[in-house]
Amino acid sequence: MRISWPRIATVARREFLTTVRRKAFVFTVIGTPAYFAFVMWISSAGELKERSEVLRELSTVGVVDSSGLFRDAPMEFRTEVSAESNNMFAKRAPEGLVPATLFQTKIRPFDDFASGETALRAREISQLVVIPANYLESGRVRRYARTSSLFSSADKRAVASWLANGLVRGRVDSLLAARVSRPAELEQLFTLGKDGSFELKDNRREMLDFMVPFMFAMLLGVSIVLGGQYLLQGVAEEKESRILESLLCTVSPEELMAGKLFGLGAAGLLVVAIWAGVGATVVGPILLLAGVKLPAGLLLIALGYFLLGYLFYGSIMTGIGAVTGNMREAQQFSVWFTFLNFAPFIMITFLLGRPNAPLAVALSMFPPTAPGAMMLRLTAPSSAVPPWQIAASLALLAAAAWAALMASARIFRIGLLLYGKTPNLPEIIRWARQG
Amino acid sequence: MLEVREVLKSYDGRAVVNRVTFEVTPGEIFALLGPNGAGKTTLIRMITDILRPDSGTIRLDGRAIPERARNEIAYLPEERGLYRRPKAVETLAYYGELKGLSARRARESAQALLERVELSEWAMKPIQSLSKGMQQKVQLCTALIGDPRLLILDEPFTGLDPLNVQMFEELLTERRAAGATVLLSTHQMNKVEQLCDRALMINHGHMVLYGTVRDIRRRYSDHAVTLRTSSTLGTVPGVKSIVANNGEATLLLDSGTTPQSVLRALLDRNVDVESFALASLPLEDIFVKVVREGLGLDHGQSEAPTEHRTAEPALVGGGGR
Repeated sequence: MRISWPRIATVARREFLTTVRRKAFVFTVIGTPAYFAFVMWISSAGELKERSEVLRELSTVGVVDSSGLFRDAPMEFRTEVSAESNNMFAKRAPEGLVPATLFQTKIRPFDDFASGETALRAREISQLVVIPANYLESGRVRRYARTSSLFSSADKRAVASWLANGLVRGRVDSLLAARVSRPAELEQLFTLGKDGSFELKDNRREMLDFMVPFMFAMLLGVSIVLGGQYLLQGVAEEKESRILESLLCTVSPEELMAGKLFGLGAAGLLVVAIWAGVGATVVGPILLLAGVKLPAGLLLIALGYFLLGYLFYGSIMTGIGAVTGNMREAQQFSVWFTFLNFAPFIMITFLLGRPNAPLAVALSMFPPTAPGAMMLRLTAPSSAVPPWQIAASLALLAAAAWAALMASARIFRIGLLLYGKTPNLPEIIRWARQG
Repeated sequence: MLEVREVLKSYDGRAVVNRVTFEVTPGEIFALLGPNGAGKTTLIRMITDILRPDSGTIRLDGRAIPERARNEIAYLPEERGLYRRPKAVETLAYYGELKGLSARRARESAQALLERVELSEWAMKPIQSLSKGMQQKVQLCTALIGDPRLLILDEPFTGLDPLNVQMFEELLTERRAAGATVLLSTHQMNKVEQLCDRALMINHGHMVLYGTVRDIRRRYSDHAVTLRTSSTLGTVPGVKSIVANNGEATLLLDSGTTPQSVLRALLDRNVDVESFALASLPLEDIFVKVVREGLGLDHGQSEAPTEHRTAEPALVGGGGR
C-alpha cells in the first residue's frame, strides 16, 4: 500500500480549516470553559451564601434549660464566616483582603417548652433549644426550627459552640472557655511526604496542586473526545451525503482516514492550546504567587496520553462513522466510548484517595480508561506511581491505538460504501480481520 | 489503455462480477451497460481501486491501478453528493489538489471549469445555495478537474436539462479530442448510440455483449430493410412480408434474398424510393431482449472474449438471437 503524504496533507488541511471556521467550534472554545467557570462559581458562591443566610436567620435562639447547667451561659454569641474557606486563592491573599462577616445571635430563655414554642411559631425567635434535666448524662438536646437547610449545618455548629462555652463558663477562665468551644481552631496536620519526611498539610495548597493538573487532565480528556466527535461527525456526514465514492477514486481510504485524524486532531489540540493559553494568562500570575508548579515531566506524560488516547478513540470513532448509516446512529454507538473515556473522572474520589489500589492500577493500564485514570493517579496528593507503571500503561495504550487504527482502516474501506444497512458485530469483526 | 482481465468479485459466495475481461483503448468512449444489479458499480469500484478484486488483474497503461490511478482516473458515481458549506470554487480546488495540482493551479482550473459550465458567477457561493442543476454541474466538474486521462461516468446526464446535456456532451467531445478516454455507464441507450464507439454489457456479473455499437446493432437486427416511399407497394420478389407505418415500410426478406436484389426489384418496378436502409434494432430493444431472454448467461461457464475489437459482437455462452 503506497501512501501519498501530499494527499494526506491536503485532506488534513481541509478538515482542520473547515472545522475551525465553523461557528460551533468558536462556541465550543468559548462556551465550554465559560460553562464550567459558571458552574464552579455558582456552586461555590451558593454554598457561602447559604451558610450566611442560615446564620443571618439565626438572630435569636430560645432556650428551655431544665438542667440548670446554662444559667451563666453568655446571652449572645458571634459567628464569623470568611470567604477564605471557600476560595482556594484567598489563603495567599494579603491579610484582610478577604473580609469576614460577623453574625450575632441573642439567647432568649424560656421557662417551659409551650412558651418557647409559641414564640417560635410567632417568629419571635429563630430556633428553640430544649435542654432536658438529664442532659449531662444523656447529652440529648432537642432543637426546634421552622425550616432546615439542606446544604448547611452552620446553625448546628453555632449552637453546639454556645453549648460548650456555656457548660464551662464561670467554672474556668474565659480563655479556657473559649478554647473549649473551639478546641482545634488552628490545627496543623503533618503528613508523611514523598521524600519520607513529615510535611505540613496545607489543604488549600493541596487543592491548588491538584486542581491545576486535574483541570489539565480534564482538558485532555475533553479534547480527545472533541477530536473523536469531529471525526465521527465528519465521516458520518460524508457518508450520509454520498460524497465519499467520488472522493475515494482520488484518495485512498487509508489516506483519507489519516488526513482526517491529523486535521481533526490538530483542531482538538488547538482547543486545548487556546484554553491552556487563556487559563495561563488569567490565573497564571495567581498560581505563580501561590508557588504552584506544573512539572515538565507531567506535561510530557500528558502529551503522550493525549496523542495515543486521541489515536485510539479517533480510530474507533472513524470506524463507527464508517459503519453507521447516519449521524444519529453514529452518536448512539459513540456515546459508550465517550463514557469509557470519562469513567475515571466519575471514580475521582476513589482514584485520588487510593491511587495505588489494585483497581486504580488496573484502570490506568486498561487502554480505554488509561489516559484519565493515570493522569488522576499522578495528580493525587498521596500518589507515588512507579515509572514502570507509566511506561507499561503508555505501551499498552500505544499497542491498542495501533490495533484500533489498523482495524478501523479495514472497516473504513468496506463500511464507507455500505448504505442502508448497519452491519452486526460479527460482520464488523470479520471486516476488521479480513479488510 | 485500460485492461481488465478475468476479474472476479464475490460476496457471501456469490459472484457479482464473474471473470469479466475487456479493454478500453485510448481516446474512445466506451459504454458499460447492464440492468440494475448487474455488477456495473462493483466493476467500476474495482477499476477505481475502491474495491479490490478477488482474482484477475486491472491495469492502466500496463501497470497496476493503485500505482497510477489516483491522479489519472476520475469517477463520477451515480449516487453523488458535495460538501454543503464550502464555496463552489473551493470544492473544485480541493478535488484538484487531491489530483496533484498545486493550490494555485487547482484554483485556476476550478475557475476555468466553472466558467466553461457557465457557473462563474456562482463560484464564490456556498454549494448549498446552488440549485440542484447547478450542483449537478459542479459535480461533473469535480470529475473533470485535473484533466484525468480516464473518465468514468456513471449516469452523468441524470438531473440535467436538455441544454446542459448538450453542454456536457460537448465537454466530453472536447476531452476526447484532448486525448481523454471515457467509460460511460448509462441506461440512456440513445446516448450510447450517439456517443460511444464500443460497449460491454454485463448481466448477473457475466459479460453478455461486447463489441462495437454498430456491430451489436447489426447482429441483433432482423433480416430486413426499411423503405420510405410515396408509392404503393405490391408484392416484391424475395420479400416475406411488408409492414407499412406512416410512410415507412419494413420489408422482411426471405433467407436467400439480399438487400441489393430487393432494391433492384423496387427500382425496376418504378417505385419512388426516398430512402432505403438496412433495418437495425435500437440498442434499447437489444438491451431489453438480452436481459429479458437471459441471453449470453452461461452460469459461470463462459469464455470471455480476448480480442478487444471484434468484428461481430461476442455473445458469450451461445445464447444467440
